Amino acid sequence: MSYLIDDNREGIQHLLMGNEAIVRGALEAGINVAAGYPGTPSSEIIEAFSKIARDRNIYAEWSTNEKVAMEVAAAASFAGLRSLCVMKQNGVNVASDFLLHLASSGTRGGMLLVTCDDPGALSSVNEGESRLFAKLVEIPLLEPGDFQEAKDLTKWAFDLSEKIRNLVMIRSVTRMSHASGNVKFGSLPDTNAHAEYRFDGPLLDMETGPMISMIVAAPELQHGPQQEKLKKAAQLFEDCPFNTYNGPESPELLIITSSACTLYVREAVNLLNIEDRVGILKLATTWPLPPNLIKRNLMRSKAVFVVEEVLPTLEENIKILAAETALETGIKTFYGKHSGHIPSAGELNPDIVISALTKILHIDYRPVEPSFEQKTAKMAATMAPTREMTFCPGCPHRASFWSIHNAIALDGRNGFVCGDIGCYVMGTLPGGYSTVKTLHSMGSGSGLASGFGKLKQFGIEQPVLAVCGDSTFFHAAMPALTNAIHHKSPFTLILLDNSGTAMTGFQPHPGSPFDVMGNTAEALDIEAICRAMGGRVEIADPFNLTETREMLNYLMEYKDGAKVLILRQACALSPERRGKKKFDVSVDESICIGENCGCDRLCTRIFGCPGITWDTEKKVSRIDTIICAGCGVCADICPAGAIQKKEVA
Amino acid sequence: MQRFGSRELVENVIRQNLCIGCGACNNLCPYFKSYNGKTTMLFPCTLPEGRCFAYCPKTEVDLDELSAALFHKPYGDDPLGYYRSIMMSRAGARAGHGLFQAGGTVSALMQFALEKRHIDGAILTDRKGIEPTPILATESKDILKCASSKYTAAPTLAALNRAIKEGFGNLGIVSTPCQTLAVAQMRLNPLQENTFRDPTGLVIGIFCTWALDFQAFKVFLSQRIDLAEIRKIDIPPPPAEVMEVFTDCATIEYPLSEIRQLVPEACSYCIDMTAEFSDISVGVMEGRTDMNTLITRTDRGQRIVDEAVSAGYLVLTDLPDENLEHLKWAADNKKKRAFAKAEEKAIVNTPAGTGPSYLRINHATLKKIRGE
Repeated sequence: MSYLIDDNREGIQHLLMGNEAIVRGALEAGINVAAGYPGTPSSEIIEAFSKIARDRNIYAEWSTNEKVAMEVAAAASFAGLRSLCVMKQNGVNVASDFLLHLASSGTRGGMLLVTCDDPGALSSVNEGESRLFAKLVEIPLLEPGDFQEAKDLTKWAFDLSEKIRNLVMIRSVTRMSHASGNVKFGSLPDTNAHAEYRFDGPLLDMETGPMISMIVAAPELQHGPQQEKLKKAAQLFEDCPFNTYNGPESPELLIITSSACTLYVREAVNLLNIEDRVGILKLATTWPLPPNLIKRNLMRSKAVFVVEEVLPTLEENIKILAAETALETGIKTFYGKHSGHIPSAGELNPDIVISALTKILHIDYRPVEPSFEQKTAKMAATMAPTREMTFCPGCPHRASFWSIHNAIALDGRNGFVCGDIGCYVMGTLPGGYSTVKTLHSMGSGSGLASGFGKLKQFGIEQPVLAVCGDSTFFHAAMPALTNAIHHKSPFTLILLDNSGTAMTGFQPHPGSPFDVMGNTAEALDIEAICRAMGGRVEIADPFNLTETREMLNYLMEYKDGAKVLILRQACALSPERRGKKKFDVSVDESICIGENCGCDRLCTRIFGCPGITWDTEKKVSRIDTIICAGCGVCADICPAGAIQKKEVA
Repeated sequence: MQRFGSRELVENVIRQNLCIGCGACNNLCPYFKSYNGKTTMLFPCTLPEGRCFAYCPKTEVDLDELSAALFHKPYGDDPLGYYRSIMMSRAGARAGHGLFQAGGTVSALMQFALEKRHIDGAILTDRKGIEPTPILATESKDILKCASSKYTAAPTLAALNRAIKEGFGNLGIVSTPCQTLAVAQMRLNPLQENTFRDPTGLVIGIFCTWALDFQAFKVFLSQRIDLAEIRKIDIPPPPAEVMEVFTDCATIEYPLSEIRQLVPEACSYCIDMTAEFSDISVGVMEGRTDMNTLITRTDRGQRIVDEAVSAGYLVLTDLPDENLEHLKWAADNKKKRAFAKAEEKAIVNTPAGTGPSYLRINHATLKKIRGE
């Protein structure tokens, strides 16, 4: 056994993360190809595939972006193989152009779109919903309610995809993907698969014709049949074993839920001890809803409480069916987001569900005495230090933003940075000296900067800069840079090249010399690409603060066209730097100016590397040698030369 | 002297367009930096009192306190400040020769002071292209490279603060009146630091009626010629009323009326034409392009002038009365205009707690300056 998830002993149980359970389900379904773009909380899926890819004859890749990942997986499906593509919720937006077309052309071999949403935006810039895409592009949506189901539903989804000859979307959430539970394994099929793309048959023949999405003025030819597929899915969902009801025949309150909320609801009902008063309808097939199953369950109670995260998607779809069947099911009182019992922003937890249930069912329930709550809040405020989000010790981004901030301040023309997606989103915060002034989607910093750069004719005099990481460059910034160079938009793109997709765990990207399976790959040279595109390219080491700042000021004053400054320095947690200190850093306490005129704690108050701490008694700075990464940058910002660095022999 | 910190410095000086970019607040700490002639605060500092504020020549300048420290009298009403003598001067035969403005007196005195170890280094203003660049000169030949006027405001005192940090304790400084004022404030040890000692050995002030805003001047020139081609810039004495810009192949003249548009607002509040708080002040000589006007103010200034004359570095002659009168008239005009403007802005003797005060001065002298 090379890895837990390909344990071939049927019936054995393993503790798996939700993401691993999804991978195991796909293995049991005989998957052949998996592609994705890294993004929390989805990244473990491709990584798990890569570990067992050779043994299980699987092709796995980190694609350049989510749209390409979906295309790579679709190609496998078109050639008769089973495949999946995986991404976080924001990635579905990137893939959505192809997604609409793919849903229209349909698929051959079973194909899944696995999306891992992030309610509460724990590791995202927003908590955008991917569920609505299923309705928008008319494909089935499945949501596992526990870890066993994450495996079983995934396997089931491949069969469903092949039955309806279309893509099936499986949606997980952070608490499903990253939490763990026991999963009982099924058997693994053999790994023989043969790919062939057939296209000689008639146009629009799902089995033998070319796979095309083209309905020019004839929607009945393709859109109509696609909708029939969805109807077929709804029929199959009527008997789906993953839709379950638990509770009295006619409960006081019918709770309808899905996904991780199933766990919250179960816990809340258990804690309130109301198993005899409420029934739980847990749905795994949330689009399209199986109408008869919903109707049958709606008849159980006059009161319905829908528990789901973020938007009232399930709630509204249930309400439509309730309205359509009102004569048979009767008038209902609905509780959920529209009634205000459940918030539409942020992730849920058992407490929120408990609070809603106590209001709906008029239950007096106090988990803790209010005085206890007050006491703990007070203690937390005094005992837990306030911590701002910041970069890791030795992070090249801290040094980069230090120089960018100072260059803009010295330039004095109110310049600004358009941000992008990566660890460097923290450039918006004091940890990144609040340097970044726009932040949206992957690649949009460069696009916005390209636009700002063209506003000179309307009197804008502010220098425009953008930051983007190396992985983001390939993902979505290249078209924006192309636009800027073509239109001679005078902005400076600062490429924060830290040699990998750092934020999500060092996944390789097109600039890496190896792929996710460890094979050698063609490493694309960012510098050569930018030069070939026609940009003026400079390279600096962000740890060289003076050189970087001077180069930035020079480029900001250089009027013509798009300029690229590649700030090259590996991430402090990257395999090449992790645990290897370049410098031993120490503080000479006798010359540390500390809080006095001449310093006012620049290192601990402004620079903010967690590797430097403030000794409140001696009033001097200290290096926390345990977490110091030995980059030595702080020695260069210290105005007194009190922070000293010595090259590690 | 009222002492505040960086917050008030930014509020009272930088935001009020009073900052001339002298560099007095640079290199004391990591927060104030000069770039392209502009002084910027990079990050906030929380200290209620700082040297940055105390040294700044554009806020809470107590003229009486400075005068008492340097000349043992309250600030008086002579437009040229306190002095021991005024003469005409030029570089002597022993001094090296450079691209002097007028008589080369400043270079000659600094060379002498450095060569005879009256000072261990000289803080001067060199240039890179057209950008004035402060330097620390520790050899005589470096002094000659810095000869001739720069016409633009320069953060010269940034180099002074750096040199002090590096351990220099007996420095010569060539400074404009605003810079000279800042140096005088530094010498008072305003924050009463235990380890303080006067870092100056010789302060030579240079006459100034205005300086140009470097950024504005750079834009002005770059719109008209290739900056890389400029070899020298000069303003010939009246009645020429032009600025001459020399390139390899031509001399281009710009009317002073156009050039004066580039003078920053900060200069219009300056009351000092002759660098009244220096040891020695030097300026051009009306009608004599080969000579300077030399004002000797302090004992150590007098000693160095005397020795430089005996050693052949400097040649002195008497200043004609009409020149002295004209100099006083010009200095008085500048002072009157600036006081009127500052009083209009309500930044002279502003009562504590009611707003920032640029200057504090005894009422008797102020009345005389006003002509009351």
